[in-house]
Amino acid sequence: MIKDELLTKKPLSILEKIEESLERLNEKMEIMIEIQKNGNGNQRSVPTLPDASLDVMTLLSMPDHLRKTAMVICRCGRATAEETAEQTRRARAVESAYLNQLVIMGYLKKERKGRKAYFYIDRETQG
Amino acid sequence: MKTVSKIIAVHSYKGGTGKTLLSVNLAAVLAKNGKKVCVFDLDFRAPSLFAILKAQNVEFWFNDYLNNTCDINKALIDLSSRIPGNGKFFASFANPATEAIRDMTSKDRKWEMRALGRLLALRESLLRDQKFDYLFFDTSPGIQYSSINAIVAADFVVVATTADRSDVDGTKRMLQELYNLFEKKTGLVLNKVLDSSATAKKPEMSAKVKAVYQVPMLGIVPCFCEILRAEGNLIFVQDKPDHPFTKIIAEMARKIDNNEVT
Repeated sequence: MIKDELLTKKPLSILEKIEESLERLNEKMEIMIEIQKNGNGNQRSVPTLPDASLDVMTLLSMPDHLRKTAMVICRCGRATAEETAEQTRRARAVESAYLNQLVIMGYLKKERKGRKAYFYIDRETQG
Repeated sequence: MKTVSKIIAVHSYKGGTGKTLLSVNLAAVLAKNGKKVCVFDLDFRAPSLFAILKAQNVEFWFNDYLNNTCDINKALIDLSSRIPGNGKFFASFANPATEAIRDMTSKDRKWEMRALGRLLALRESLLRDQKFDYLFFDTSPGIQYSSINAIVAADFVVVATTADRSDVDGTKRMLQELYNLFEKKTGLVLNKVLDSSATAKKPEMSAKVKAVYQVPMLGIVPCFCEILRAEGNLIFVQDKPDHPFTKIIAEMARKIDNNEVT
Protein backbone atom coordinates (compact mmCIF):
# COMPACT_ATOMS: atom_id res chain seq x y z
CA MET A 1 0.00 0.00 0.00
CA ILE A 2 2.84 2.39 0.86
CA LYS A 3 4.38 1.48 -2.49
CA ASP A 4 1.19 2.54 -4.30
CA GLU A 5 1.14 5.80 -2.36
CA LEU A 6 4.76 6.44 -3.21
CA LEU A 7 3.82 6.46 -6.85
CA THR A 8 1.02 8.97 -6.41
CA LYS A 9 2.03 11.23 -3.48
CA LYS A 10 5.06 13.26 -2.54
CA PRO A 11 7.57 11.37 -0.35
CA LEU A 12 7.51 14.17 2.26
CA SER A 13 3.81 13.78 2.97
CA ILE A 14 4.28 10.02 3.28
CA LEU A 15 7.10 10.54 5.76
CA GLU A 16 4.89 12.89 7.75
CA LYS A 17 2.18 10.26 7.77
CA ILE A 18 4.65 7.65 9.00
CA GLU A 19 5.83 10.04 11.73
CA GLU A 20 2.25 10.63 12.80
CA SER A 21 1.57 6.89 12.93
CA LEU A 22 4.72 6.32 14.96
CA GLU A 23 3.68 9.02 17.39
CA ARG A 24 0.28 7.44 17.88
CA LEU A 25 1.94 4.05 18.33
CA ASN A 26 4.29 5.59 20.88
CA GLU A 27 1.36 7.03 22.81
CA LYS A 28 -0.41 3.65 22.84
CA MET A 29 2.74 1.97 24.12
CA GLU A 30 3.05 4.54 26.91
CA ILE A 31 -0.56 3.87 27.91
CA MET A 32 0.11 0.11 27.91
CA ILE A 33 3.23 0.62 30.05
CA GLU A 34 1.19 2.71 32.48
CA ILE A 35 -1.55 0.03 32.62
CA GLN A 36 1.07 -2.65 33.32
CA LYS A 37 2.67 -0.53 36.05
CA ASN A 38 -0.67 -0.13 37.78
CA GLY A 39 -1.54 -3.81 37.43
CA ASN A 40 -4.65 -3.10 35.40
CA GLY A 41 -3.94 -5.60 32.65
CA ASN A 42 -7.61 -6.39 32.08
CA GLN A 43 -8.70 -2.81 32.00
CA ARG A 44 -9.54 -1.61 28.50
CA SER A 45 -9.92 2.07 29.13
CA VAL A 46 -7.04 4.49 29.63
CA PRO A 47 -6.35 4.87 33.36
CA THR A 48 -6.68 8.64 33.32
CA LEU A 49 -7.42 10.34 36.61
CA PRO A 50 -10.14 12.86 35.83
CA ASP A 51 -9.49 16.45 36.87
CA ALA A 52 -6.29 15.95 38.83
CA SER A 53 -5.20 19.50 39.62
CA LEU A 54 -1.73 20.65 38.64
CA ASP A 55 -1.23 23.08 41.52
CA VAL A 56 2.15 24.14 42.92
CA MET A 57 2.15 21.58 45.74
CA THR A 58 1.57 18.81 43.17
CA LEU A 59 4.42 20.24 41.10
CA LEU A 60 6.65 20.14 44.18
CA SER A 61 5.84 16.48 44.84
CA MET A 62 6.51 15.36 41.25
CA PRO A 63 9.68 13.59 40.19
CA ASP A 64 12.20 16.07 38.74
CA HIS A 65 11.89 14.90 35.12
CA LEU A 66 8.10 15.34 35.06
CA ARG A 67 8.19 18.63 36.98
CA LYS A 68 10.47 20.14 34.38
CA THR A 69 7.99 19.26 31.62
CA ALA A 70 4.93 20.31 33.65
CA MET A 71 6.53 23.68 34.46
CA VAL A 72 6.82 24.49 30.76
CA ILE A 73 3.11 23.84 30.20
CA CYS A 74 2.34 25.82 33.37
CA ARG A 75 4.21 28.82 32.01
CA CYS A 76 3.08 28.57 28.36
CA GLY A 77 -0.44 27.37 29.03
CA ARG A 78 -0.33 25.27 25.87
CA ALA A 79 2.53 23.71 23.91
CA THR A 80 3.52 20.86 21.59
CA ALA A 81 6.20 18.31 22.50
CA GLU A 82 8.57 20.14 20.17
CA GLU A 83 7.96 23.53 21.83
CA THR A 84 8.39 21.93 25.26
CA ALA A 85 11.66 20.30 24.15
CA GLU A 86 12.98 23.69 23.00
CA GLN A 87 12.62 25.00 26.55
CA THR A 88 13.80 21.96 28.48
CA ARG A 89 16.61 21.24 25.98
CA ARG A 90 15.71 17.58 26.01
CA ALA A 91 14.78 15.43 23.01
CA ARG A 92 11.33 15.88 21.50
CA ALA A 93 10.58 12.14 21.86
CA VAL A 94 11.44 12.32 25.56
CA GLU A 95 9.12 15.30 26.07
CA SER A 96 6.39 13.55 24.11
CA ALA A 97 6.64 10.59 26.49
CA TYR A 98 6.57 12.79 29.61
CA LEU A 99 3.69 14.91 28.31
CA ASN A 100 1.63 11.84 27.52
CA GLN A 101 2.42 10.49 30.97
CA LEU A 102 1.09 13.73 32.48
CA VAL A 103 -2.07 13.33 30.36
CA ILE A 104 -2.50 9.78 31.64
CA MET A 105 -2.04 11.03 35.21
CA GLY A 106 -4.85 13.53 34.58
CA TYR A 107 -2.76 16.70 35.00
CA LEU A 108 -2.79 17.78 31.35
CA LYS A 109 -5.25 17.63 28.49
CA LYS A 110 -4.33 16.84 24.93
CA GLU A 111 -5.83 18.11 21.73
CA ARG A 112 -4.93 17.22 18.15
CA LYS A 113 -4.98 19.87 15.45
CA GLY A 114 -3.96 18.42 12.11
CA ARG A 115 -0.65 16.71 12.61
CA LYS A 116 0.19 18.55 15.80
CA ALA A 117 -0.72 17.47 19.32
CA TYR A 118 -1.12 20.30 21.84
CA PHE A 119 -0.85 19.76 25.58
CA TYR A 120 -2.51 22.18 27.99
CA ILE A 121 -3.82 22.70 31.51
CA ASP A 122 -7.56 23.04 31.64
CA ARG A 123 -7.62 25.45 34.59
CA GLU A 124 -11.12 26.75 34.08
CA THR A 125 -13.05 23.49 33.89
CA GLN A 126 -11.01 21.47 36.38
CA GLY A 127 -12.76 21.16 39.67
CA MET B 1 21.82 35.89 25.77
CA LYS B 2 20.45 36.32 29.31
CA THR B 3 16.69 36.73 29.64
CA VAL B 4 15.73 39.92 31.49
CA SER B 5 13.68 39.24 34.60
CA LYS B 6 10.41 41.12 34.39
CA ILE B 7 8.40 39.51 37.17
CA ILE B 8 10.12 39.63 40.52
CA ALA B 9 8.85 37.86 43.62
CA VAL B 10 10.14 39.10 46.99
CA HIS B 11 10.03 36.26 49.48
CA SER B 12 11.51 35.13 52.81
CA TYR B 13 11.41 32.21 55.19
CA LYS B 14 10.38 34.25 58.22
CA GLY B 15 8.20 37.32 58.62
CA GLY B 16 9.63 40.75 59.40
CA THR B 17 12.64 40.45 57.12
CA GLY B 18 11.74 43.58 55.15
CA LYS B 19 10.01 42.14 52.07
CA THR B 20 7.49 44.96 51.72
CA LEU B 21 10.11 47.63 52.34
CA LEU B 22 12.30 46.07 49.63
CA SER B 23 9.41 45.56 47.17
CA VAL B 24 8.10 49.11 47.46
CA ASN B 25 11.50 50.79 47.34
CA LEU B 26 12.88 48.66 44.50
CA ALA B 27 9.74 49.39 42.47
CA ALA B 28 9.86 53.09 43.41
CA VAL B 29 13.50 53.52 42.37
CA LEU B 30 12.80 51.84 39.03
CA ALA B 31 9.77 54.12 38.52
CA LYS B 32 11.94 57.10 39.41
CA ASN B 33 14.31 55.95 36.65
CA GLY B 34 11.45 56.14 34.14
CA LYS B 35 10.17 52.55 34.25
CA LYS B 36 6.55 51.45 34.40
CA VAL B 37 6.19 49.23 37.47
CA CYS B 38 3.55 47.66 39.66
CA VAL B 39 3.76 46.21 43.18
CA PHE B 40 1.28 43.49 44.14
CA ASP B 41 0.50 42.56 47.72
CA LEU B 42 0.33 38.77 47.80
CA ASP B 43 0.49 38.58 51.58
CA PHE B 44 -3.21 37.81 51.94
CA ARG B 45 -2.79 36.67 55.55
CA ALA B 46 -1.31 39.95 56.73
CA PRO B 47 -1.86 42.65 54.09
CA SER B 48 0.37 45.68 54.65
CA LEU B 49 0.97 47.43 51.33
CA PHE B 50 -2.39 49.15 51.61
CA ALA B 51 -1.35 50.84 54.87
CA ILE B 52 2.23 51.57 53.82
CA LEU B 53 1.18 53.33 50.62
CA LYS B 54 -1.76 55.00 52.42
CA ALA B 55 -4.20 54.03 49.70
CA GLN B 56 -7.69 55.43 49.87
CA ASN B 57 -11.03 54.51 48.31
CA VAL B 58 -9.86 51.20 46.91
CA GLU B 59 -12.77 49.69 45.01
CA PHE B 60 -11.19 46.50 43.74
CA TRP B 61 -8.48 44.43 45.40
CA PHE B 62 -5.97 41.98 44.01
CA ASN B 63 -8.12 39.34 45.75
CA ASP B 64 -10.92 40.24 43.29
CA TYR B 65 -8.64 39.71 40.30
CA LEU B 66 -7.55 36.30 41.62
CA ASN B 67 -11.18 35.43 42.38
CA ASN B 68 -11.94 36.24 38.73
CA THR B 69 -14.48 38.88 39.69
CA CYS B 70 -12.69 41.79 38.05
CA ASP B 71 -10.28 42.67 35.29
CA ILE B 72 -6.68 43.39 36.34
CA ASN B 73 -6.97 47.08 35.34
CA LYS B 74 -9.70 47.61 37.92
CA ALA B 75 -7.43 46.28 40.67
CA LEU B 76 -4.52 48.56 39.76
CA ILE B 77 -4.13 51.90 41.54
CA ASP B 78 -2.04 54.56 39.84
CA LEU B 79 0.28 56.16 42.40
CA SER B 80 2.66 57.73 39.88
CA SER B 81 2.09 61.21 41.31
CA ARG B 82 3.93 60.07 44.46
CA ILE B 83 7.15 59.41 42.54
CA PRO B 84 9.22 62.14 40.89
CA GLY B 85 10.08 61.76 37.21
CA ASN B 86 8.28 60.34 34.19
CA GLY B 87 7.99 56.75 35.36
CA LYS B 88 4.76 55.01 36.30
CA PHE B 89 4.14 53.48 39.71
CA PHE B 90 1.10 51.27 40.24
CA ALA B 91 0.02 49.06 43.12
CA SER B 92 -2.55 46.33 43.62
CA PHE B 93 -3.55 45.70 47.20
CA ALA B 94 -4.52 42.67 49.24
CA ASN B 95 -7.80 43.29 51.06
CA PRO B 96 -7.05 43.86 54.78
CA ALA B 97 -10.66 43.14 55.92
CA THR B 98 -10.86 40.17 58.32
CA GLU B 99 -13.53 38.51 56.19
CA ALA B 100 -11.30 38.77 53.10
CA ILE B 101 -8.32 37.31 55.00
CA ARG B 102 -10.48 34.43 56.22
CA ASP B 103 -11.75 33.85 52.68
CA MET B 104 -8.24 33.81 51.17
CA THR B 105 -6.92 31.39 53.78
CA SER B 106 -9.66 28.85 53.12
CA LYS B 107 -9.16 28.39 49.37
CA ASP B 108 -8.82 24.86 47.99
CA ARG B 109 -6.11 23.60 45.63
CA LYS B 110 -8.29 23.99 42.53
CA TRP B 111 -8.66 27.68 43.33
CA GLU B 112 -4.91 27.96 43.92
CA MET B 113 -4.30 26.31 40.55
CA ARG B 114 -6.52 28.89 38.84
CA ALA B 115 -4.86 31.67 40.83
CA LEU B 116 -1.51 30.55 39.42
CA GLY B 117 -3.05 30.76 35.94
CA ARG B 118 -4.19 34.33 36.63
CA LEU B 119 -0.76 35.32 37.95
CA LEU B 120 0.84 33.87 34.82
CA ALA B 121 -1.69 35.75 32.67
CA LEU B 122 -0.25 39.07 33.95
CA ARG B 123 2.72 38.44 31.69
CA GLU B 124 0.46 38.96 28.68
CA SER B 125 -1.99 41.52 30.03
CA LEU B 126 0.53 43.82 31.74
CA LEU B 127 4.01 43.12 30.37
CA ARG B 128 3.11 42.50 26.73
CA ASP B 129 -0.09 44.49 26.18
CA GLN B 130 0.33 47.40 28.58
CA LYS B 131 4.12 47.61 28.37
CA PHE B 132 4.87 47.39 32.07
CA ASP B 133 8.62 47.01 32.64
CA TYR B 134 8.52 45.27 36.02
CA LEU B 135 5.99 43.55 38.27
CA PHE B 136 6.88 42.99 41.93
CA PHE B 137 5.11 40.31 43.97
CA ASP B 138 5.36 41.05 47.69
CA THR B 139 4.65 37.60 49.17
CA SER B 140 3.74 35.92 52.45
CA PRO B 141 6.70 34.44 54.32
CA GLY B 142 7.33 30.69 54.38
CA ILE B 143 6.03 27.89 52.24
CA GLN B 144 2.39 28.41 51.45
CA TYR B 145 0.27 28.44 48.32
CA SER B 146 0.16 32.15 47.52
CA SER B 147 3.93 32.48 47.92
CA ILE B 148 4.78 29.40 45.87
CA ASN B 149 2.35 30.53 43.15
CA ALA B 150 4.21 33.86 43.07
CA ILE B 151 7.58 32.11 42.91
CA VAL B 152 6.46 29.83 40.07
CA ALA B 153 5.04 32.79 38.12
CA ALA B 154 8.16 34.95 38.66
CA ASP B 155 11.33 35.17 36.58
CA PHE B 156 13.48 36.10 39.54
CA VAL B 157 13.12 35.76 43.32
CA VAL B 158 14.58 38.26 45.77
CA VAL B 159 15.09 36.35 49.00
CA ALA B 160 15.15 38.60 52.05
CA THR B 161 16.90 37.17 55.08
CA THR B 162 18.48 38.28 58.34
CA ALA B 163 21.36 36.97 60.44
CA ASP B 164 18.92 35.31 62.87
CA ARG B 165 19.92 31.64 63.29
CA SER B 166 16.45 30.21 62.63
CA ASP B 167 16.10 32.45 59.59
CA VAL B 168 19.49 31.31 58.21
CA ASP B 169 18.63 27.61 58.59
CA GLY B 170 15.11 28.00 57.21
CA THR B 171 16.25 30.11 54.27
CA LYS B 172 18.97 27.59 53.38
CA ARG B 173 16.44 24.77 53.43
CA MET B 174 13.95 26.78 51.41
CA LEU B 175 16.58 27.58 48.77
CA GLN B 176 17.44 23.91 48.41
CA GLU B 177 13.98 22.42 48.67
CA LEU B 178 11.89 25.03 46.92
CA TYR B 179 13.75 27.36 44.58
CA ASN B 180 16.11 24.67 43.29
CA LEU B 181 13.21 22.37 42.45
CA PHE B 182 11.60 25.12 40.40
CA GLU B 183 14.98 26.11 38.92
CA LYS B 184 14.42 29.74 39.91
CA LYS B 185 16.92 32.53 39.51
CA THR B 186 17.47 34.03 42.95
CA GLY B 187 19.23 36.99 44.53
CA LEU B 188 19.76 37.15 48.27
CA VAL B 189 19.37 40.30 50.34
CA LEU B 190 20.85 40.18 53.81
CA ASN B 191 18.80 42.74 55.70
CA LYS B 192 19.10 44.40 59.11
CA VAL B 193 22.83 43.76 59.44
CA LEU B 194 23.87 45.07 62.85
CA ASP B 195 27.59 45.39 62.16
CA SER B 196 28.02 49.08 61.38
CA SER B 197 31.09 48.40 59.25
CA ALA B 198 29.12 46.00 57.04
CA THR B 199 29.21 48.37 54.10
CA ALA B 200 32.98 48.79 54.35
CA LYS B 201 33.50 45.04 54.55
CA LYS B 202 30.95 44.38 51.82
CA PRO B 203 33.07 42.18 49.49
CA GLU B 204 34.21 39.96 52.40
CA MET B 205 30.73 39.70 53.83
CA SER B 206 29.20 39.09 50.44
CA ALA B 207 31.58 36.17 49.81
CA LYS B 208 30.80 34.74 53.25
CA VAL B 209 27.03 34.94 52.71
CA LYS B 210 27.36 33.48 49.21
CA ALA B 211 29.32 30.56 50.68
CA VAL B 212 26.59 29.88 53.25
CA TYR B 213 23.59 30.11 50.92
CA GLN B 214 25.18 29.11 47.60
CA VAL B 215 23.16 31.69 45.68
CA PRO B 216 24.05 35.08 44.14
CA MET B 217 23.94 38.15 46.40
CA LEU B 218 21.78 41.09 45.47
CA GLY B 219 22.75 43.26 48.40
CA ILE B 220 23.52 43.80 52.08
CA VAL B 221 21.38 46.27 54.02
CA PRO B 222 22.57 47.56 57.41
CA CYS B 223 20.03 48.14 60.14
CA PHE B 224 19.08 51.81 59.93
CA CYS B 225 17.38 53.48 62.90
CA GLU B 226 15.62 55.88 60.50
CA ILE B 227 13.82 52.93 58.88
CA LEU B 228 12.64 51.67 62.26
CA ARG B 229 11.57 55.18 63.28
CA ALA B 230 9.63 55.66 60.06
CA GLU B 231 7.45 52.68 61.11
CA GLY B 232 6.69 51.83 57.50
CA ASN B 233 5.43 55.31 56.71
CA LEU B 234 7.97 56.22 54.07
CA ILE B 235 8.87 55.33 50.53
CA PHE B 236 12.53 55.92 51.35
CA VAL B 237 13.78 56.43 47.82
CA GLN B 238 11.24 59.22 47.43
CA ASP B 239 11.26 60.82 50.88
CA LYS B 240 14.97 60.48 51.65
CA PRO B 241 16.80 60.39 48.30
CA ASP B 242 20.23 60.92 49.87
CA HIS B 243 19.90 58.32 52.61
CA PRO B 244 22.41 55.38 52.43
CA PHE B 245 19.46 52.95 52.29
CA THR B 246 18.22 54.67 49.12
CA LYS B 247 21.67 54.25 47.57
CA ILE B 248 21.76 50.54 48.43
CA ILE B 249 18.29 50.04 46.93
CA ALA B 250 19.30 51.98 43.81
CA GLU B 251 22.29 49.68 43.36
CA MET B 252 20.07 46.59 43.72
CA ALA B 253 17.60 48.01 41.18
CA ARG B 254 20.47 48.72 38.80
CA LYS B 255 21.63 45.10 39.08
CA ILE B 256 18.10 43.84 38.39
CA ASP B 257 17.62 46.24 35.47
CA ASN B 258 20.96 45.27 33.92
CA ASN B 259 20.50 41.60 34.70
CA GLU B 260 23.71 41.58 36.72
CA VAL B 261 22.86 39.39 39.71
CA THR B 262 25.74 36.93 39.88
